[in-house]
Amino acid sequence: MQNTTVNSVGLSLNACIKCNICTSYCPVSEVTDSFPGPKYAAPQSERFRDFGHPYYEDDSGPISRPLAAGRMPDASVDYCSGCRVCNEVCPTGVRIAEINARARARIVAARGLSLRNRLLGRNELLGRMGSVAPGLANFALHNPLSRKLAASLFGVAEKAPLPRWHRETLNRWLARTRAQRLRSERKVIYFHGCATQYYEPFVGMAAILVLEHLGYEVIVPPQNCCGLPMLSNGEFGAAESYHRRNVARLAQYVNAGYPILGTSTSCTLTLKEEAPELLDLESDAGTRALKLATWDVFEWLRERLDQDQLPSDLRPLKQSDQPFILPYHAPCQLRAHRIGKPALDLLARIPNLDLRESQARCCGIAGTYGYKTEKYQIAMDVGRELFDYVASQANESDSDSRGPVSFTACDSETCRWQLEHGTGLPSRHPIELLAAAYGLYDLQARRPAGGN
Amino acid sequence: MLDLLVIGAGLTGLFAAYTAARAGLHVRVIAHGAGATHWHAGTIDLLGYVENRDEAVANWTQALPELPPAHPYRLLGVDAIATALDAFQQFTVAAALPYVRPGTIMSLPAPSASEDESSQTRGQVEQIDNDNLGRNCQLISPVGAPRPVYLAPTAQQAGNLEDDRPLVIVGLEGMPEFYPALSAENLQKQGFYARTATLNLSPLLRRRDISPLQMARTLDKLDAQAQFTEMVADMAAPGERVGLPALLGMDAHTRLLTQLQEAVVDRGRDSAQHSDRRGTVLSVFEIPTLPPSVPGLRLDAALRIQLAGLGVRVEIGMEVCGFHATGRRIQWIETETGSRPLRHTARNYLLATGGILGGGIYADRCGRVKETVFDLPLTAPHARSHWLRPLFLDKRGHPIFQAGVSVNHHFRPLDQSGAPVYDNLWAAGSILAHTDPIRERSREGIAIATGYAAANGVIKSQ
Repeated sequence: MQNTTVNSVGLSLNACIKCNICTSYCPVSEVTDSFPGPKYAAPQSERFRDFGHPYYEDDSGPISRPLAAGRMPDASVDYCSGCRVCNEVCPTGVRIAEINARARARIVAARGLSLRNRLLGRNELLGRMGSVAPGLANFALHNPLSRKLAASLFGVAEKAPLPRWHRETLNRWLARTRAQRLRSERKVIYFHGCATQYYEPFVGMAAILVLEHLGYEVIVPPQNCCGLPMLSNGEFGAAESYHRRNVARLAQYVNAGYPILGTSTSCTLTLKEEAPELLDLESDAGTRALKLATWDVFEWLRERLDQDQLPSDLRPLKQSDQPFILPYHAPCQLRAHRIGKPALDLLARIPNLDLRESQARCCGIAGTYGYKTEKYQIAMDVGRELFDYVASQANESDSDSRGPVSFTACDSETCRWQLEHGTGLPSRHPIELLAAAYGLYDLQARRPAGGN
Repeated sequence: MLDLLVIGAGLTGLFAAYTAARAGLHVRVIAHGAGATHWHAGTIDLLGYVENRDEAVANWTQALPELPPAHPYRLLGVDAIATALDAFQQFTVAAALPYVRPGTIMSLPAPSASEDESSQTRGQVEQIDNDNLGRNCQLISPVGAPRPVYLAPTAQQAGNLEDDRPLVIVGLEGMPEFYPALSAENLQKQGFYARTATLNLSPLLRRRDISPLQMARTLDKLDAQAQFTEMVADMAAPGERVGLPALLGMDAHTRLLTQLQEAVVDRGRDSAQHSDRRGTVLSVFEIPTLPPSVPGLRLDAALRIQLAGLGVRVEIGMEVCGFHATGRRIQWIETETGSRPLRHTARNYLLATGGILGGGIYADRCGRVKETVFDLPLTAPHARSHWLRPLFLDKRGHPIFQAGVSVNHHFRPLDQSGAPVYDNLWAAGSILAHTDPIRERSREGIAIATGYAAANGVIKSQ
């Protein structure tokens, strides 16, 4: 197995055979001239930047060197959305998206960060501030005037699908329902991520209900942002401090051998790989232990399924004989885990569910990318492939005189928001569907069955 | 439980998966990256050259005896190869991307149902009769040289060098990877009448660089197709064949090809012939360009769509990092992930990972060669000094490129004693030893014939 260290990202460019497969799949360079394509931006340009990697080794280990003038990465690298489709299709294993992320960080280190990008990186802070008074915050953010102001003052795209604060955070729900939570010898740890804590606590509720249904006690320890929004905006220093805090806060559970499960595919990917690799923390023992303990929730559920530990009391999602047609999009952040599409294996167990697997490359939003005014249209153009796919499933089912498509499913929160924005259909996390099929969750109202 | 796990998503792996899934097996495909289909010209090259002969092979059925006895084609024989090709042609018809032997007269297929819902008819592939079985033909390469091909998609039929109609080779302004002048000059040297023309596509595509792929996707749009057809028809002279870089659409390729063909033929005809609108003589053709190859991508997409329809998942981005066997049975393989290895369990495994280029074989500086998934015994030169001959373009090729896995007639990998290494493992495609597919011009033929044979071995073992 390839050892992934700081040098393997930089030196993987030597494996590039210039076959252009990445260019043919890059969804961004397909729709805009602003990004020249993965091959040009990463392996080809990187060779001319500072000896191919941001660090070089001497006797005392890797040390960073100051950037010489003229070796600054070209600004076009900022138009890489970081979707990692290039990594996925590369036949020779070049870490293209990571090379781009590091190049962006070098630009930020030398030229500083815009206020907008600093804000977009502070998902957790924004979430916490808004949840003090969610109604007020939603009103303040979600009115046409403030969206116009945000666009012109900060460059936050006016039409981009910003989330709404939920009236109750996941933590407050947990505190309120403490008496109903399952206690068990078998325990798992839940990493909720910022979006679930502040905007979509019901996704966390669905996950907790399913895990309890399997007989596991779910521990939700104090945690903070995984650091991904900062990593993708080139703010590596801040990302590192967030990551180290998570490592410290989760260490006791990791050391006790409990699995860390997440419903946000990008948060779990960051704990597993992005933070260790981009921040050169692979040799850090705590980081390594957390990496090996982290699971996407469906990756973990698939293991239970394979070991026949999954309760079989799954019911059809609608009280009718008609199949429930569900277009499912595995987000690029999930595909980057290289675990296949485990949600498909689980959802296939739900009776009368007609799953349709999207082959679209990316929904376009790529975390914070599609929220930037200069990138909003690119993100929408990239997502067109997926939106059209969903529309074609709806049309097809109409002509079959079956029920129309009423939901889409996707594992990643910003992708779901983009899907809703692009298709007009509500989108659900697969765990919500599974919870509903177990009779634990109301798919329409997005709350536990029985109204808790 | 899967009946078959295919490792590798090139032509070999995808066609083998298709064959097995059509027989009712539960199949999945995993691969490290996108397959080599993206690199090849989209034609089926069966056997273009054999060792020690300068001229191209005219009929591969007659050339088989000249191949080494352990060559995959010798293991199969003419009939098994022909059966596999027939199955492949049937697949191409089902996928509305019909492949035939150039020179076979064929009608132009109507746009497929997905492109044009009013039309249900598909292209008819005529059986290859016995007189023509095995006959190669020569198509025009990007530099105007002849390349020996056995089957080609409709879009490449009119580039046949057995045809002596005059040619116009069309380049595009701003497209760096296609040089019509070079192509035309080489064609003139071979005695053809060939001229060049250049189209300016900037009204269609407001982009800095024009890559064939971007252009192909742009040409999927109706209005772009109409404008482009107009440009090509204006430029073509009566009686000419029109050669264009291979970018004539992706998803709506057949519709564009039909439009172009009708427009070019209409201009060149007198009114007496006009009744035969869907002419049988094709006059527009594509010339493959540098990778990523649009004809290769179309074939890849056709295979993927058919596989999805059969419920076969193709998962890309998975690199095998280990496996477990008890006795002579493989129990599972593992692929690397962002965290822990992922286990894949199946009753049977098909190794279709390709050769050195495709990643199935790893060769290092010290002269070691290694099969990358199961560490199978390889047939390879003993020392690095024997890898390469002194002349780069030596007609015999280089010994290292024949390195690979030795198999028996059932395409089971063998150990040094000649016994199958595992009871539930098959191998096919460029990973096989005793063949040099690039030099032989046999890449796709090996892929289809051995992939089909191995899939049938799995089916029979069920």
